[in-house]
Amino acid sequence: MSGYPPPPDVIRGRVAWIFGDDFDVDLIIGVENIKYYDADVLRGVTMQAYDPDFVDKVEPGDVIVGGRNFGYGHPHYPPLVALRNLGVAAVIAESFSPGFWRGETYNGMPLITAPGITDHVRRWDPVEVDWRKARVTLPNAGTTLEGTPPSERVTKIIEAGGSLRLLLAEHRR
Amino acid sequence: MPQTITEKILARAGGVDSVRPGQNLPFRPDHMVAYDFPGYTDVMFRQMHEDFGITELAEPERYLVFIDHMLTKGDEKERDIHKVTREWCDFYGVTLHEAEGIGHQVAAELGYATPGRFLIHFDGHVSGLGAFGALGWGVRRDLLEAWVSGQIYLDVPATVRFDLTGEFGPGVDNRDLVHAIIGRLGADGCAHQVMEFGGPGAEAMSIDRRQGLCGMAMFTGAVSAIFNPDGRALDYADAVARSPYEPVASDPDAEYSSRHTFDLSTIEPQVVLPGSARSANTHGVSELDRTEVTKAFIGSCASGRIEDIRDAAALLDGQKVSAGVELNVVPTSAEIHRQAEREGLLDVLRTAGANIHTSSCDFCFGYQKPLQPGEKCISTGVLNISGRMGSTASEIYMGSASTVAASAITGKITDPREVMNR
Repeated sequence: MSGYPPPPDVIRGRVAWIFGDDFDVDLIIGVENIKYYDADVLRGVTMQAYDPDFVDKVEPGDVIVGGRNFGYGHPHYPPLVALRNLGVAAVIAESFSPGFWRGETYNGMPLITAPGITDHVRRWDPVEVDWRKARVTLPNAGTTLEGTPPSERVTKIIEAGGSLRLLLAEHRR
Repeated sequence: MPQTITEKILARAGGVDSVRPGQNLPFRPDHMVAYDFPGYTDVMFRQMHEDFGITELAEPERYLVFIDHMLTKGDEKERDIHKVTREWCDFYGVTLHEAEGIGHQVAAELGYATPGRFLIHFDGHVSGLGAFGALGWGVRRDLLEAWVSGQIYLDVPATVRFDLTGEFGPGVDNRDLVHAIIGRLGADGCAHQVMEFGGPGAEAMSIDRRQGLCGMAMFTGAVSAIFNPDGRALDYADAVARSPYEPVASDPDAEYSSRHTFDLSTIEPQVVLPGSARSANTHGVSELDRTEVTKAFIGSCASGRIEDIRDAAALLDGQKVSAGVELNVVPTSAEIHRQAEREGLLDVLRTAGANIHTSSCDFCFGYQKPLQPGEKCISTGVLNISGRMGSTASEIYMGSASTVAASAITGKITDPREVMNR
């Protein structure tokens, strides 16, 4: 769960999906499946309610986009594990629900708050994410959005590939 | 510089004179709290010992563990998880409270949450301790950071101020208020901020009501919620405090990101439709069809306190739970259970046909008597996402203890004021 390599300085990919406001991430795999971590099981249930071919279309470096309050509800970890397994490298949203933000930041996922993002993207648009600067470049829209950069601590967490790795480097005896 | 109560508590915990919203700093919580649960504590226990090589704690008194989940099956899995917890606490000299009730309540009763204290937990409902002028913050897996280092990096939150006027009308309480707040401000209305309650309506609110209100903060997007400590909170704290404490309060000219006024006397009973507590699912009970229910539940860290049980007993006194409904009542703690027994409330509920259960978290997360496919439950639990209380093909409606009790009597989701008036 916390064993992912840190992202490149600039994440280059496509917008693999656009979710709406108050999106409950458990729906990515279906609430029946929120306790599974097995990669094959997760692959079989990922995004089935939205696009049954999603797992075959998505490529490493792709990102997902969310509306306001992305991650609202009672977020479990497996849905983002499932997306990570497919290569999804960042989540860009109008805003994030605090519980989701904290849990996924712990896991080292770059979460970029970029107000206006949902007005500027369509599915499969190319996107470049400079996650340290929270800068999102959208060539098709001819736009660059800038969010609030992560704190120094969160930057370190993402660079380490998650909080557990950073804490081990700092506090292992 | 004028400060809010939250900023003052964090400044002390951060060892600095003052903090301002947006700063990211390390803070030293007074207590670092967990309940044992598979995949959480057992993993953290193993990580601390094996991965971090920690064999003793510098300040074990800052750690606090509760056993309040998984207490009702008595099977091997249950015994195993609790055994691991007991052994870990024993090894490190950490205080363990087992089967004394729901930790977010027991922490208050045992004096861990006195005014001015800063507590973290992996579970966000620790925000209920804001009733006492303590700051309780749910940090999910970042609890590990505090457990291995004694401190945790957090962004200082801005504060949203709620000025409460008036008093709750009959059949209306804190549960209706929190859903009315979500209904007006949205499910992210207080995102990444702290809710601070003040004004005459806050001063008139009982401790039980304050706990239930603060404990639901996360559904507005807030990281916590808090009341400035007043006579009620200080009286409670003085009776239970384990050590001297220093109350702090917001300065009159403290800065808030926004202010909202709610007149408690105008709020009507609220019901949340199955799915989540988002505003689109939140309705005044009078707007809704009278949906039939098969289960009714009063309990959880957000309800089940003595005033909730008194409200339910007042409605059920001389009445019967509808033939098609099973009403389960779980006092929030063993202490509350004993008090409700002394007051004769549990006998009233039993006579009406309710089942009374030993205090635990087990109903609220679908572990004890899980809902079956097709069932509809009206609940004071904290969450109504699909599958939360059992089958993903069951549905959970949420409301106050009064609304649950009234609905149990009629067998349909019912405005408690109707039952009171008949």
